[in-house]
Amino acid sequence: MNASVRISASSLRAHKRRFAGTFLAVLLGVAFLAGTLVMGDTLRASFDTMFGNATSGTDAVVRSANTITTPGESQGVRQPVDTDLVTAIEKAPGVAAAVPDIQGAGQLIGADGDPIGGAGPPTLAGNWIDDTKLNAYQLAEGRAPSKSGEVVVNRGAAEQGDLKIGDTTTLRTPDPVKVTIVGLATFGGEDGMAQVTYTGMTQADAEKYLTAKPGEAASILVRAGPGTGERELVDALTPVLPKGVEAITGQELAAENTDMISGQFLTLFTTFLLVFSGVALLVATFSIHNTFAIVVAQRTRENALLRALGASRRQVTASTLVEASVVAVTASAAGLAGGIGIAAGLQALFPAIGFPFPEGDLVISGLSMLLPLAVGIVVCLGSALLPAVRAGRTAPLAALRETAVDQSGASRTRAVVGTGLAALAVAITLTGVIVSPSLWLAGSGAILALAAFVVLGPVASTTAVRVLGSPLDRLRGVTGGLARRNALRSPKRTAATASALMIGVAVVSLFTVFGASLKATMDQTVARSFAGDVAVSTPSFGAGGSGLSPKLAPAIAERPEVGTAVGLGRGVAEVDGKGRALTVTDPVALERTFDLGDVQGSMRDLGTDGIAITENEADKQGLKTGDTAQLAFTDGEKETFTVRAVYGQSELAGDYVITRDAWAPHRTQDSDTLVAVSFKDGVSAADGKAAVEKAAAAYGNPEVQTRDEYAQSAAGGIDMMLTLVYALLALAVLIALLGIANTLTLAVHERTRELGLLRAVGQTRSQLRAMVRWESVLVAAFGTVGGLALGGFLGWVLVKASDGASDSAFAFAVPPVQLAVVALVGLAAGALAGWRPARRAARLDVLRAIATE
Amino acid sequence: MSTATATKGTQTAARVADAVKVYGSGDTAVRALDGVSVTFPAGRFTAIMGPSGSGKSTLMHCAAGLDTLTSGAAFIGDTELSRLDDRRLTLLRRDRIGFVFQAFNLVPTLTVAENITLPMDLAGGRGDGSSGEWIDALVDVVGLRDRLHHRPSELSGGQQQRVAVARAFAGQPDVVFADEPTGNLDSRSGEEVLNLLGRAVRQMDRTVVMVTHDPVAAAHADEVVFLADGRLVDRMESPTADKVLDRMKAFDSKGAPS
Repeated sequence: MNASVRISASSLRAHKRRFAGTFLAVLLGVAFLAGTLVMGDTLRASFDTMFGNATSGTDAVVRSANTITTPGESQGVRQPVDTDLVTAIEKAPGVAAAVPDIQGAGQLIGADGDPIGGAGPPTLAGNWIDDTKLNAYQLAEGRAPSKSGEVVVNRGAAEQGDLKIGDTTTLRTPDPVKVTIVGLATFGGEDGMAQVTYTGMTQADAEKYLTAKPGEAASILVRAGPGTGERELVDALTPVLPKGVEAITGQELAAENTDMISGQFLTLFTTFLLVFSGVALLVATFSIHNTFAIVVAQRTRENALLRALGASRRQVTASTLVEASVVAVTASAAGLAGGIGIAAGLQALFPAIGFPFPEGDLVISGLSMLLPLAVGIVVCLGSALLPAVRAGRTAPLAALRETAVDQSGASRTRAVVGTGLAALAVAITLTGVIVSPSLWLAGSGAILALAAFVVLGPVASTTAVRVLGSPLDRLRGVTGGLARRNALRSPKRTAATASALMIGVAVVSLFTVFGASLKATMDQTVARSFAGDVAVSTPSFGAGGSGLSPKLAPAIAERPEVGTAVGLGRGVAEVDGKGRALTVTDPVALERTFDLGDVQGSMRDLGTDGIAITENEADKQGLKTGDTAQLAFTDGEKETFTVRAVYGQSELAGDYVITRDAWAPHRTQDSDTLVAVSFKDGVSAADGKAAVEKAAAAYGNPEVQTRDEYAQSAAGGIDMMLTLVYALLALAVLIALLGIANTLTLAVHERTRELGLLRAVGQTRSQLRAMVRWESVLVAAFGTVGGLALGGFLGWVLVKASDGASDSAFAFAVPPVQLAVVALVGLAAGALAGWRPARRAARLDVLRAIATE
Repeated sequence: MSTATATKGTQTAARVADAVKVYGSGDTAVRALDGVSVTFPAGRFTAIMGPSGSGKSTLMHCAAGLDTLTSGAAFIGDTELSRLDDRRLTLLRRDRIGFVFQAFNLVPTLTVAENITLPMDLAGGRGDGSSGEWIDALVDVVGLRDRLHHRPSELSGGQQQRVAVARAFAGQPDVVFADEPTGNLDSRSGEEVLNLLGRAVRQMDRTVVMVTHDPVAAAHADEVVFLADGRLVDRMESPTADKVLDRMKAFDSKGAPS
């Protein structure tokens, strides 16, 4: 063992406590990262298994080759296939069986009258396939549906809705259909495909309720006879299929489904988590750097002695780095174990809180272990590098001087560089936000702003702590004054400690501001463009169940209290080769319940060949009233529409409006997503709402909301997202607090004699504790205020950049209450971080403290 | 708590009775104090002398409430220290005792003025008129008026010790304990500090107990008590450096531990 290693080993042994904070910071960051990766892999594998199970008996799938994907949609809309094809397919060589597979949305109503599922995972309905190999579901109890109105449901859904065999309930397709449960099904031995609900009906019922017209199916499932492989089967099928229809193997379908989930949902999910583990690790970097910097400063004499005794710079640097490596490796390894624990915990936790995650064994890949390990080690060593080099530079003479406490910080260079950076950041950001809106520019500006804050930290800390702490002198007398001066002692250290918290708080405030702005935008949108009194809508999050029955709007309109009730459905078509979402509605009624802004032309007579578009889209496509546009539908039909109206505001009404009659020939399952209602004059809000609720009751009880409620529910997803973000950021904040606690512990150690003196001349234990705690609160206050300022600025940038990048107007809102809560939490957390160092300081033995060298 | 000060030479500022202090236990037990009884009269300057390891610092720490006795009793005025919990002991130190240590006497973040008033500030008092005048006078006595707003790091060692002396007397305590106050100073600065202590006792009627191993320092006291092996072995009134030195040499010749 060489000298550097021996020195660092003994130093680690002697100062285990000093590295506890560093150890925890690395551990938590690595655990988060590893947990994310393991969970991502596990989910991917589970979905793999799930989709594999779903198609395990299916050798080939025949389906339409065309999809239309609209912006923001993960899955394209595919045209149905003709069930007549079954006959031709059955004649192809190697085919043992072929059945149409009708798929649609159907939401069951539970025994308590509330819909089952619908808040995320799809609520599926289809034809019950008798061929047990081709059916992804297996009959577990009861029998298959044999006559109209009989259904099989998956056991999980039945349990959720407290439904049993023999029960009669309603299925929203979205028209309410009375169904009797005759059987319960399982999926791959489980009670369901994750949280997806499934209702299997007879083929006739499925065609009636789930397709636009009989003789259509989503696809045709084909099973091969003995001796025919999947590939051979597909090859044999291809020649018998008409143009625009394709055959793929069951495996390919499973892979496609998995890719879709991975590509959209999982990637988003894991990227999201990775970003937050990145934030946590960034925060950890500051804490670790600070710890090593302090430890090296405290060890100046020791290192100087080593240098005086003949140790080379390299050896002194190496001994610090070896110390860092030991901490890095052990903490990262512990972090890996923690990460696996987190993944296992989340896997158990998510289903319990209703998250749609499939079960399965944890998948621990080499990458998901090596990457966090490497990141942990790099972060730790990287953070320790500068302090280590500084340790190596210790002059042998320093051994003879009094232990020097780092007084530097507010150097002129730093101030100049920091101010320059800040100016550059603001300039770039403003350019990206105002002059030529660009997310890229705004983003770079934001990162520069962060850098500027970190560089300026030590410069600002002196003034900031002085200002923030000024009430302390008055409030807490000499205890407060001492706390304030202690926080001012080493501006660099205070700044580095606070920076960690600042980053955490900045990200929290960024999301808080952005979330509030989104909500304000939503409010504004509803207030501006929704002229009705109440809205009937399905949950805006996820698949949203089966939507609303198209018969609901007319039923509501019949009520005497109601003036206008308009249903908005959704359709897709390609306009100019690009998928577009269409709003399918009654344009005349639409104009009465929504504020469409300036309308050129008339919404009155769109007929079956007219279309209305927003000004925005019209400008983009170069269209004006009277022009024609070709729309290609999923059924392969192309039709020419005349632009009869151009309207100003799109927000709730969408960019393209066509009539129900125009859409009818091309539609699949018919449903509305929103019914907007305005009351007749003189009808009170309560009466009107009650009337609408009464009418809606017959249609599966969808929620009836006033304008405000509608705006709030539209923003409901934002709150959920924010809660998740806060939970994830709690880790980064925790690491930052560990950093504060650690710095304070080291500072207390450093000031042992001074604390002893204070105690000797009459500082009580509680005064001493208060002094350390207040110092902690001050450092936290500095970080929190900096974070709020930075986060608020970044939030503004994000909102403005989003505003520039999207068509709809974004409102910027600063939520004072939430930000005040963030500030309070920051301060309280500071007090908490100071708790243990304060207690340790108060426990110091006065005599020993005085005697400490 | 009584702040009535004992101003007459016949009154007792501090005393210990049958003081025993044992460090460690079993075979490694060390009896630092082995039944010491000594009284420090008010208005007097007493020096505690003895070779290294004689227990003189332990005696001072126990008498000043910085350390607790294994057995026996320590009093400040009429207050028995062993009956006080940590908090009361702290308040007693703050209000009735002043300290001058060998080094590191000042809080580096506070100015000279703030260091002087630290015990009073810790007590929460804003300083009434009389204490203001007293401190004002004190500042002149220690000769630091032009340094009041400096930080300790900007002062020389001697100046720092003078600030410590001013701090020790600022609250008009019953007794000031000084632990080798000149140990880190050159002889001229040391002389200044000792003169200050002496003037405080003789001109301002204060009480000082000083631990030292330096006969020259001890010569500034009104009386010297000698400790050896944890026992009180001698007392000397009106000491001079030569007399003290001779007395100390006697310890060495007897082979006392050094």
